[in-house]
Amino acid sequence: MKRIFALSTALVLLLMLGISLAWAARVGDAAPNFTATDTNGQTHKLSDYAGKFLVLEWHNRGCPYTQKHYNSGNMERLQREWTARGVVWLTIISSAPGKQGYVTAADENAYVKQVNAAPSAVLLDPTGTVGHLYDAKTTPHMFIINPQGILIYNGAIDDKPTSDPSDISSAKNYVSLALTEALAGKSVTTPTTRPYGCSVKYPD
Amino acid sequence: MMFVSHSQRSLLLFRLSTLLLVAPFVASVARAETTPPTHSRVELIADQDSKSPNHPLSVGVLFHLDPGWHVYWQNAGDSGEPPKIQWMLPSGFRAGSPQWPTPSRLGSGTIIDYGYENQLLLIVPIETPKTSQLSHEQRVQLAAAVKYLVCRDICVPAKASLTLSLPVAASGQSSEWPALFRQARAQLPKPAPKTWSISAQSSQDHFILSVHNSTSAKSATFFPLEPSVIENSAPQAFTATKDSLQLTLKKSDQLMKQPAVLKGVLVLDGNRSYEIAARIASK
Repeated sequence: MKRIFALSTALVLLLMLGISLAWAARVGDAAPNFTATDTNGQTHKLSDYAGKFLVLEWHNRGCPYTQKHYNSGNMERLQREWTARGVVWLTIISSAPGKQGYVTAADENAYVKQVNAAPSAVLLDPTGTVGHLYDAKTTPHMFIINPQGILIYNGAIDDKPTSDPSDISSAKNYVSLALTEALAGKSVTTPTTRPYGCSVKYPD
Repeated sequence: MMFVSHSQRSLLLFRLSTLLLVAPFVASVARAETTPPTHSRVELIADQDSKSPNHPLSVGVLFHLDPGWHVYWQNAGDSGEPPKIQWMLPSGFRAGSPQWPTPSRLGSGTIIDYGYENQLLLIVPIETPKTSQLSHEQRVQLAAAVKYLVCRDICVPAKASLTLSLPVAASGQSSEWPALFRQARAQLPKPAPKTWSISAQSSQDHFILSVHNSTSAKSATFFPLEPSVIENSAPQAFTATKDSLQLTLKKSDQLMKQPAVLKGVLVLDGNRSYEIAARIASK
Protein backbone atom coordinates (compact mmCIF):
# COMPACT_ATOMS: atom_id res chain seq x y z
CA MET A 1 0.00 0.00 0.00
CA LYS A 2 2.82 2.38 0.95
CA ARG A 3 4.65 1.54 -2.26
CA ILE A 4 1.59 2.23 -4.42
CA PHE A 5 1.14 5.57 -2.65
CA ALA A 6 4.80 6.46 -3.20
CA LEU A 7 4.60 5.43 -6.85
CA SER A 8 1.42 7.39 -7.52
CA THR A 9 2.87 10.47 -5.80
CA ALA A 10 5.97 10.16 -7.93
CA LEU A 11 3.76 9.83 -11.01
CA VAL A 12 1.72 12.91 -10.08
CA LEU A 13 4.92 14.88 -9.45
CA LEU A 14 6.32 13.75 -12.80
CA LEU A 15 3.10 14.75 -14.54
CA MET A 16 3.17 18.16 -12.84
CA LEU A 17 6.80 18.63 -13.90
CA GLY A 18 5.85 17.64 -17.42
CA ILE A 19 3.01 20.14 -17.45
CA SER A 20 5.15 22.94 -16.03
CA LEU A 21 7.79 22.28 -18.69
CA ALA A 22 5.14 22.13 -21.42
CA TRP A 23 4.51 25.87 -21.22
CA ALA A 24 7.65 27.94 -20.70
CA ALA A 25 6.13 31.40 -20.49
CA ARG A 26 2.46 31.73 -21.33
CA VAL A 27 0.70 35.01 -20.79
CA GLY A 28 -1.65 34.70 -17.83
CA ASP A 29 0.58 32.23 -16.01
CA ALA A 30 3.09 32.94 -13.27
CA ALA A 31 6.36 34.08 -14.86
CA PRO A 32 9.19 31.55 -14.39
CA ASN A 33 11.41 32.42 -11.43
CA PHE A 34 14.95 33.11 -12.62
CA THR A 35 18.28 33.80 -10.96
CA ALA A 36 21.05 35.55 -12.86
CA THR A 37 24.10 37.75 -12.36
CA ASP A 38 24.41 41.23 -13.83
CA THR A 39 27.43 42.99 -15.31
CA ASN A 40 28.35 44.39 -11.88
CA GLY A 41 28.36 40.98 -10.20
CA GLN A 42 24.97 41.44 -8.49
CA THR A 43 22.49 38.55 -8.38
CA HIS A 44 18.92 39.14 -9.49
CA LYS A 45 15.91 36.91 -8.88
CA LEU A 46 12.39 37.38 -10.25
CA SER A 47 11.14 37.33 -6.66
CA ASP A 48 13.26 40.46 -5.96
CA TYR A 49 10.77 42.37 -8.11
CA ALA A 50 7.49 41.44 -6.47
CA GLY A 51 5.39 44.60 -6.39
CA LYS A 52 7.00 46.08 -9.51
CA PHE A 53 6.38 45.91 -13.24
CA LEU A 54 9.31 44.18 -14.90
CA VAL A 55 10.42 44.25 -18.56
CA LEU A 56 12.79 41.57 -19.88
CA GLU A 57 14.59 42.48 -23.11
CA TRP A 58 16.62 39.81 -24.92
CA HIS A 59 19.67 41.42 -26.57
CA ASN A 60 22.46 40.74 -29.08
CA ARG A 61 24.30 43.85 -30.23
CA GLY A 62 25.41 42.21 -33.49
CA CYS A 63 21.88 41.39 -34.66
CA PRO A 64 20.51 43.84 -37.27
CA TYR A 65 17.12 43.91 -35.52
CA THR A 66 18.72 44.87 -32.20
CA GLN A 67 20.80 47.44 -34.06
CA LYS A 68 17.62 48.88 -35.58
CA HIS A 69 16.35 49.76 -32.09
CA TYR A 70 19.68 50.78 -30.56
CA ASN A 71 21.30 52.80 -33.39
CA SER A 72 18.10 54.80 -33.66
CA GLY A 73 18.01 55.42 -29.89
CA ASN A 74 14.59 53.78 -29.70
CA MET A 75 15.42 51.12 -27.11
CA GLU A 76 17.37 53.57 -24.94
CA ARG A 77 14.45 55.98 -25.03
CA LEU A 78 12.02 53.26 -23.97
CA GLN A 79 14.32 52.19 -21.14
CA ARG A 80 14.52 55.78 -19.83
CA GLU A 81 10.81 56.47 -20.20
CA TRP A 82 9.66 53.37 -18.35
CA THR A 83 12.31 53.17 -15.63
CA ALA A 84 11.44 56.80 -14.82
CA ARG A 85 7.91 55.54 -14.14
CA GLY A 86 9.07 52.87 -11.73
CA VAL A 87 9.25 49.95 -14.16
CA VAL A 88 12.29 47.69 -13.77
CA TRP A 89 14.02 46.98 -17.11
CA LEU A 90 16.40 44.04 -17.39
CA THR A 91 18.40 43.51 -20.58
CA ILE A 92 19.36 39.83 -20.88
CA ILE A 93 22.16 38.41 -23.04
CA SER A 94 21.88 34.65 -23.63
CA SER A 95 24.56 34.35 -26.35
CA ALA A 96 26.93 31.43 -25.70
CA PRO A 97 30.70 32.01 -25.63
CA GLY A 98 32.06 32.22 -29.17
CA LYS A 99 28.68 33.17 -30.63
CA GLN A 100 27.43 36.55 -31.81
CA GLY A 101 26.40 38.83 -28.94
CA TYR A 102 28.51 37.12 -26.28
CA VAL A 103 30.16 39.78 -24.07
CA THR A 104 32.20 40.10 -20.93
CA ALA A 105 30.79 42.20 -18.08
CA ALA A 106 33.33 44.99 -18.63
CA ASP A 107 32.66 45.04 -22.38
CA GLU A 108 28.90 45.27 -21.81
CA ASN A 109 29.25 48.08 -19.24
CA ALA A 110 31.34 50.03 -21.77
CA TYR A 111 28.71 49.40 -24.46
CA VAL A 112 25.85 50.58 -22.22
CA LYS A 113 27.77 53.85 -21.63
CA GLN A 114 28.64 54.19 -25.29
CA VAL A 115 25.07 53.76 -26.60
CA ASN A 116 23.60 55.67 -23.65
CA ALA A 117 21.32 52.78 -22.71
CA ALA A 118 19.42 52.90 -19.44
CA PRO A 119 18.38 49.43 -18.32
CA SER A 120 18.09 48.81 -14.57
CA ALA A 121 20.68 46.07 -15.11
CA VAL A 122 22.11 43.80 -17.81
CA LEU A 123 21.97 40.10 -16.92
CA LEU A 124 24.60 37.78 -18.40
CA ASP A 125 23.13 34.38 -19.30
CA PRO A 126 25.84 32.63 -21.39
CA THR A 127 24.54 29.15 -20.50
CA GLY A 128 21.10 30.15 -21.82
CA THR A 129 19.39 29.05 -18.61
CA VAL A 130 17.17 32.13 -18.28
CA GLY A 131 16.59 32.20 -22.04
CA HIS A 132 15.32 28.62 -22.09
CA LEU A 133 13.22 29.24 -18.97
CA TYR A 134 11.31 31.89 -20.92
CA ASP A 135 11.79 30.23 -24.32
CA ALA A 136 13.29 33.45 -25.64
CA LYS A 137 13.55 32.97 -29.40
CA THR A 138 14.79 36.23 -30.92
CA THR A 139 16.70 39.40 -30.25
CA PRO A 140 14.80 41.44 -29.41
CA HIS A 141 12.16 39.34 -27.59
CA MET A 142 10.17 41.24 -24.96
CA PHE A 143 8.40 40.02 -21.82
CA ILE A 144 6.44 42.06 -19.29
CA ILE A 145 5.65 40.79 -15.79
CA ASN A 146 3.18 42.53 -13.49
CA PRO A 147 3.67 43.26 -9.73
CA GLN A 148 1.88 39.99 -8.89
CA GLY A 149 4.45 38.02 -10.91
CA ILE A 150 2.08 37.19 -13.78
CA LEU A 151 3.34 37.35 -17.36
CA ILE A 152 1.24 39.95 -19.18
CA TYR A 153 3.19 40.34 -22.45
CA ASN A 154 5.31 37.94 -24.52
CA GLY A 155 6.41 38.90 -28.04
CA ALA A 156 7.71 41.49 -30.44
CA ILE A 157 8.78 45.00 -29.52
CA ASP A 158 6.52 46.50 -32.20
CA ASP A 159 4.38 45.68 -35.22
CA LYS A 160 6.98 46.31 -37.96
CA PRO A 161 9.04 43.09 -38.13
CA THR A 162 11.91 44.54 -40.17
CA SER A 163 15.50 45.63 -39.58
CA ASP A 164 14.79 49.08 -41.06
CA PRO A 165 15.03 51.92 -38.51
CA SER A 166 12.75 54.08 -40.66
CA ASP A 167 9.91 51.73 -39.69
CA ILE A 168 10.13 52.69 -36.01
CA SER A 169 8.31 56.02 -36.10
CA SER A 170 5.21 54.53 -37.74
CA ALA A 171 5.23 51.33 -35.69
CA LYS A 172 2.83 50.42 -32.90
CA ASN A 173 5.10 49.75 -29.89
CA TYR A 174 3.58 46.73 -28.11
CA VAL A 175 5.72 47.21 -24.98
CA SER A 176 4.66 50.83 -24.43
CA LEU A 177 1.04 49.97 -25.19
CA ALA A 178 1.00 47.07 -22.72
CA LEU A 179 2.73 49.07 -19.98
CA THR A 180 0.40 52.07 -20.48
CA GLU A 181 -2.65 49.82 -20.15
CA ALA A 182 -1.29 47.77 -17.25
CA LEU A 183 -0.11 50.80 -15.23
CA ALA A 184 -3.62 52.23 -15.61
CA GLY A 185 -5.07 49.00 -14.22
CA LYS A 186 -6.47 47.90 -17.59
CA SER A 187 -5.99 44.51 -19.22
CA VAL A 188 -3.45 44.28 -22.06
CA THR A 189 -5.16 44.42 -25.46
CA THR A 190 -2.36 42.65 -27.35
CA PRO A 191 -0.68 40.27 -24.90
CA THR A 192 1.19 38.11 -27.42
CA THR A 193 2.70 38.59 -30.87
CA ARG A 194 5.29 36.72 -32.88
CA PRO A 195 8.64 38.10 -31.68
CA TYR A 196 10.90 39.16 -34.55
CA GLY A 197 14.67 39.29 -34.90
CA CYS A 198 17.71 37.02 -35.12
CA SER A 199 17.66 33.71 -33.27
CA VAL A 200 19.05 33.77 -29.71
CA LYS A 201 22.55 32.24 -29.93
CA TYR A 202 22.18 29.43 -27.37
CA PRO A 203 24.97 26.90 -26.75
CA ASP A 204 24.90 23.95 -29.20
CA MET B 1 70.57 63.10 -61.88
CA MET B 2 69.09 62.93 -58.39
CA PHE B 3 71.58 62.44 -55.65
CA VAL B 4 70.01 61.37 -52.36
CA SER B 5 72.20 61.55 -49.31
CA HIS B 6 72.38 58.70 -46.81
CA SER B 7 70.42 60.65 -44.18
CA GLN B 8 67.79 61.65 -46.70
CA ARG B 9 67.42 58.00 -47.78
CA SER B 10 67.01 56.89 -44.14
CA LEU B 11 64.33 59.50 -43.65
CA LEU B 12 62.61 58.43 -46.84
CA LEU B 13 62.70 54.78 -45.78
CA PHE B 14 61.37 55.71 -42.34
CA ARG B 15 58.51 57.69 -43.87
CA LEU B 16 57.74 54.89 -46.30
CA SER B 17 57.68 52.22 -43.58
CA THR B 18 55.44 54.42 -41.43
CA LEU B 19 53.09 54.76 -44.37
CA LEU B 20 53.06 50.99 -44.84
CA LEU B 21 52.23 50.56 -41.13
CA VAL B 22 49.43 53.10 -41.29
CA ALA B 23 47.98 51.87 -44.59
CA PRO B 24 46.34 48.66 -43.25
CA PHE B 25 44.57 50.70 -40.55
CA VAL B 26 43.34 53.14 -43.13
CA ALA B 27 42.16 50.23 -45.26
CA SER B 28 40.38 48.56 -42.35
CA VAL B 29 38.54 51.75 -41.45
CA ALA B 30 37.38 52.02 -45.04
CA ARG B 31 36.29 48.37 -44.95
CA ALA B 32 34.29 48.88 -41.77
CA GLU B 33 32.22 51.53 -43.48
CA THR B 34 31.21 49.36 -46.44
CA THR B 35 28.22 47.02 -46.26
CA PRO B 36 28.89 43.50 -44.93
CA PRO B 37 29.04 40.63 -47.46
CA THR B 38 25.61 39.18 -48.15
CA HIS B 39 26.83 35.70 -49.16
CA SER B 40 24.20 35.76 -51.87
CA ARG B 41 23.42 36.94 -55.35
CA VAL B 42 19.95 37.69 -56.73
CA GLU B 43 18.77 37.98 -60.31
CA LEU B 44 15.49 38.47 -62.14
CA ILE B 45 14.77 35.81 -64.76
CA ALA B 46 11.81 34.91 -66.96
CA ASP B 47 10.18 31.72 -68.14
CA GLN B 48 10.03 33.12 -71.65
CA ASP B 49 12.37 35.74 -72.93
CA SER B 50 9.77 36.92 -75.35
CA LYS B 51 6.53 38.46 -74.25
CA SER B 52 3.45 38.24 -76.36
CA PRO B 53 0.04 39.40 -75.12
CA ASN B 54 -1.34 35.93 -75.74
CA HIS B 55 0.98 34.08 -73.40
CA PRO B 56 1.09 34.18 -69.57
CA LEU B 57 4.32 35.54 -68.29
CA SER B 58 6.17 34.04 -65.33
CA VAL B 59 9.18 35.82 -63.95
CA GLY B 60 11.39 34.54 -61.19
CA VAL B 61 13.50 36.05 -58.47
CA LEU B 62 16.49 33.71 -58.31
CA PHE B 63 18.54 33.69 -55.09
CA HIS B 64 22.00 32.08 -55.23
CA LEU B 65 23.21 31.40 -51.68
CA ASP B 66 26.70 30.61 -50.41
CA PRO B 67 27.00 27.21 -48.65
CA GLY B 68 25.42 27.24 -45.18
CA TRP B 69 23.46 30.46 -45.76
CA HIS B 70 19.68 30.55 -46.01
CA VAL B 71 16.70 32.76 -46.81
CA TYR B 72 13.22 32.32 -45.38
CA TRP B 73 9.80 30.93 -46.35
CA GLN B 74 6.67 33.10 -46.20
CA ASN B 75 6.36 31.99 -42.56
CA ALA B 76 9.97 32.32 -41.40
CA GLY B 77 9.36 30.27 -38.23
CA ASP B 78 10.81 31.20 -34.86
CA SER B 79 13.20 33.83 -36.19
CA GLY B 80 14.12 35.51 -39.47
CA GLU B 81 12.15 37.43 -42.09
CA PRO B 82 10.88 36.39 -45.54
CA PRO B 83 12.04 38.26 -48.67
CA LYS B 84 9.84 41.12 -49.90
CA ILE B 85 9.53 42.18 -53.52
CA GLN B 86 8.43 45.58 -54.75
CA TRP B 87 7.67 45.65 -58.48
CA MET B 88 8.06 48.51 -60.92
CA LEU B 89 6.22 47.45 -64.06
CA PRO B 90 5.02 49.17 -67.22
CA SER B 91 1.43 50.34 -67.18
CA GLY B 92 -1.03 47.50 -67.72
CA PHE B 93 1.28 44.92 -66.12
CA ARG B 94 0.52 43.58 -62.65
CA ALA B 95 2.53 41.17 -60.46
CA GLY B 96 0.71 38.34 -58.69
CA SER B 97 1.78 36.67 -55.43
CA PRO B 98 5.06 34.76 -55.32
CA GLN B 99 4.80 30.96 -55.47
CA TRP B 100 6.75 29.46 -52.58
CA PRO B 101 8.47 26.11 -53.10
CA THR B 102 8.23 23.63 -50.21
CA PRO B 103 10.62 24.86 -47.50
CA SER B 104 13.05 22.94 -45.31
CA ARG B 105 13.22 22.94 -41.54
CA LEU B 106 16.29 24.95 -40.47
CA GLY B 107 17.93 25.60 -37.14
CA SER B 108 18.16 23.34 -34.12
CA GLY B 109 17.12 22.95 -30.52
CA THR B 110 14.39 25.32 -29.40
CA ILE B 111 14.60 27.61 -32.44
CA ILE B 112 13.30 26.20 -35.73
CA ASP B 113 12.91 28.26 -38.87
CA TYR B 114 11.53 27.54 -42.33
CA GLY B 115 13.47 28.40 -45.46
CA TYR B 116 15.86 27.53 -48.22
CA GLU B 117 19.56 26.82 -48.66
CA ASN B 118 21.72 26.89 -51.82
CA GLN B 119 19.14 28.33 -54.19
CA LEU B 120 15.60 29.67 -54.28
CA LEU B 121 13.55 30.54 -57.33
CA LEU B 122 10.44 32.52 -56.39
CA ILE B 123 8.09 32.36 -59.37
CA VAL B 124 5.84 35.40 -59.79
CA PRO B 125 3.03 35.40 -62.38
CA ILE B 126 2.74 38.69 -64.24
CA GLU B 127 -0.58 39.79 -65.70
CA THR B 128 -0.06 41.49 -69.01
CA PRO B 129 -2.24 43.98 -70.87
CA LYS B 130 -4.93 42.28 -72.93
CA THR B 131 -4.83 44.57 -75.89
CA SER B 132 -1.71 44.46 -77.92
CA GLN B 133 -0.56 48.03 -77.64
CA LEU B 134 2.99 46.77 -77.78
CA SER B 135 4.72 46.69 -81.09
CA HIS B 136 6.88 43.72 -81.98
CA GLU B 137 9.96 45.91 -81.84
CA GLN B 138 9.35 47.13 -78.30
CA ARG B 139 11.28 45.87 -75.30
CA VAL B 140 9.39 45.47 -71.99
CA GLN B 141 11.28 46.66 -68.93
CA LEU B 142 10.53 44.99 -65.63
CA ALA B 143 12.14 46.10 -62.38
CA ALA B 144 12.02 44.76 -58.85
CA ALA B 145 13.44 45.98 -55.53
CA VAL B 146 14.07 42.94 -53.34
CA LYS B 147 14.71 43.22 -49.60
CA TYR B 148 15.71 40.00 -47.86
CA LEU B 149 17.45 38.58 -44.81
CA VAL B 150 20.20 36.03 -45.36
CA CYS B 151 21.55 34.10 -42.37
CA ARG B 152 23.89 31.40 -41.27
CA ASP B 153 25.07 31.70 -37.66
CA ILE B 154 24.54 35.46 -38.03
CA CYS B 155 22.10 37.45 -40.16
CA VAL B 156 22.74 40.05 -42.84
CA PRO B 157 19.94 42.24 -44.23
CA ALA B 158 20.35 42.63 -47.97
CA LYS B 159 18.72 44.37 -50.89
CA ALA B 160 18.92 44.07 -54.64
CA SER B 161 17.66 46.28 -57.45
CA LEU B 162 16.91 44.03 -60.38
CA THR B 163 15.89 44.67 -63.95
CA LEU B 164 14.90 42.45 -66.83
CA SER B 165 14.36 43.47 -70.38
CA LEU B 166 12.16 41.27 -72.54
CA PRO B 167 11.66 41.58 -76.28
CA VAL B 168 8.06 41.46 -77.45
CA ALA B 169 8.01 38.87 -80.19
CA ALA B 170 6.10 35.94 -81.57
CA SER B 171 5.43 33.08 -79.15
CA GLY B 172 7.55 29.96 -79.29
CA GLN B 173 10.83 31.54 -78.35
CA SER B 174 12.39 29.62 -75.50
CA SER B 175 14.06 30.99 -72.42
CA GLU B 176 17.59 30.17 -71.22
CA TRP B 177 16.14 29.31 -67.83
CA PRO B 178 13.36 26.76 -68.44
CA ALA B 179 15.02 24.02 -66.40
CA LEU B 180 15.12 26.24 -63.29
CA PHE B 181 11.44 27.06 -63.67
CA ARG B 182 10.56 23.39 -64.18
CA GLN B 183 12.51 22.44 -61.05
CA ALA B 184 10.91 25.21 -58.96
CA ARG B 185 7.42 24.26 -60.17
CA ALA B 186 8.08 20.64 -59.19
CA GLN B 187 8.91 21.85 -55.66
CA LEU B 188 5.66 23.78 -55.23
CA PRO B 189 3.21 22.07 -52.85
CA LYS B 190 0.29 20.53 -54.75
CA PRO B 191 -3.33 21.08 -53.68
CA ALA B 192 -4.43 18.21 -51.42
CA PRO B 193 -6.30 15.52 -53.39
CA LYS B 194 -10.08 16.04 -53.25
CA THR B 195 -10.52 12.45 -52.06
CA TRP B 196 -8.64 13.20 -48.85
CA SER B 197 -10.68 13.97 -45.76
CA ILE B 198 -8.65 16.45 -43.70
CA SER B 199 -9.57 17.65 -40.21
CA ALA B 200 -7.99 18.89 -37.00
CA GLN B 201 -8.95 18.42 -33.37
CA SER B 202 -7.93 20.86 -30.69
CA SER B 203 -7.07 19.69 -27.20
CA GLN B 204 -5.68 21.87 -24.43
CA ASP B 205 -2.07 21.66 -25.58
CA HIS B 206 -2.20 20.20 -29.08
CA PHE B 207 -3.74 20.19 -32.52
CA ILE B 208 -4.24 16.70 -33.93
CA LEU B 209 -4.19 16.80 -37.70
CA SER B 210 -5.91 13.82 -39.37
CA VAL B 211 -6.02 12.82 -43.01
CA HIS B 212 -8.35 10.00 -44.07
CA ASN B 213 -8.37 8.32 -47.49
CA SER B 214 -4.78 9.37 -47.86
CA THR B 215 -1.95 7.52 -49.53
CA SER B 216 0.30 5.57 -47.18
CA ALA B 217 3.33 7.30 -45.78
CA LYS B 218 6.19 6.45 -43.44
CA SER B 219 6.76 10.00 -42.21
CA ALA B 220 5.13 13.42 -42.28
CA THR B 221 6.05 17.00 -41.45
CA PHE B 222 3.68 19.96 -41.18
CA PHE B 223 4.80 23.51 -42.03
CA PRO B 224 2.28 26.04 -40.64
CA LEU B 225 1.36 28.96 -42.85
CA GLU B 226 0.62 31.27 -39.91
CA PRO B 227 3.17 32.08 -37.19
CA SER B 228 2.43 31.56 -33.48
CA VAL B 229 0.00 28.68 -34.01
CA ILE B 230 2.16 25.62 -33.40
CA GLU B 231 5.43 25.26 -31.52
CA ASN B 232 7.87 25.01 -34.42
CA SER B 233 10.56 23.17 -32.44
CA ALA B 234 8.27 20.53 -30.88
CA PRO B 235 8.43 16.98 -32.31
CA GLN B 236 5.40 16.08 -34.46
CA ALA B 237 4.24 12.62 -33.34
CA PHE B 238 3.15 10.65 -36.41
CA THR B 239 0.90 7.61 -36.68
CA ALA B 240 -0.44 5.99 -39.84
CA THR B 241 -2.57 3.15 -41.08
CA LYS B 242 -2.55 2.12 -44.72
CA ASP B 243 -5.10 4.81 -45.66
CA SER B 244 -4.98 7.41 -42.92
CA LEU B 245 -2.42 9.42 -41.02
CA GLN B 246 -2.28 11.60 -37.97
CA LEU B 247 0.15 14.27 -36.76
CA THR B 248 0.14 15.69 -33.23
CA LEU B 249 1.24 19.34 -33.21
CA LYS B 250 2.03 21.18 -29.97
CA LYS B 251 0.37 24.57 -29.66
CA SER B 252 2.55 27.69 -29.54
CA ASP B 253 3.20 29.60 -26.28
CA GLN B 254 2.06 32.65 -28.22
CA LEU B 255 -1.29 31.23 -29.34
CA MET B 256 -4.06 33.31 -27.81
CA LYS B 257 -7.03 33.06 -30.16
CA GLN B 258 -7.87 29.66 -31.60
CA PRO B 259 -7.85 29.81 -35.43
CA ALA B 260 -10.80 28.30 -37.31
CA VAL B 261 -8.60 26.57 -39.87
CA LEU B 262 -5.12 25.06 -39.64
CA LYS B 263 -3.39 26.03 -42.90
CA GLY B 264 -0.02 24.92 -44.12
CA VAL B 265 2.04 22.48 -46.12
CA LEU B 266 2.06 18.76 -45.32
CA VAL B 267 5.11 16.87 -46.57
CA LEU B 268 4.92 13.08 -46.76
CA ASP B 269 8.04 10.92 -46.86
CA GLY B 270 10.17 14.02 -47.33
CA ASN B 271 9.21 14.46 -50.97
CA ARG B 272 5.43 14.66 -51.52
CA SER B 273 4.17 18.07 -50.58
CA TYR B 274 0.55 19.26 -50.27
CA GLU B 275 -1.22 22.49 -49.40
CA ILE B 276 -3.79 21.79 -46.73
CA ALA B 277 -6.45 23.68 -44.80
CA ALA B 278 -7.98 21.70 -41.94
CA ARG B 279 -11.08 22.93 -40.10
CA ILE B 280 -10.39 22.85 -36.35
CA ALA B 281 -12.94 21.27 -34.00
CA SER B 282 -12.60 21.50 -30.22
CA LYS B 283 -12.63 18.34 -28.16
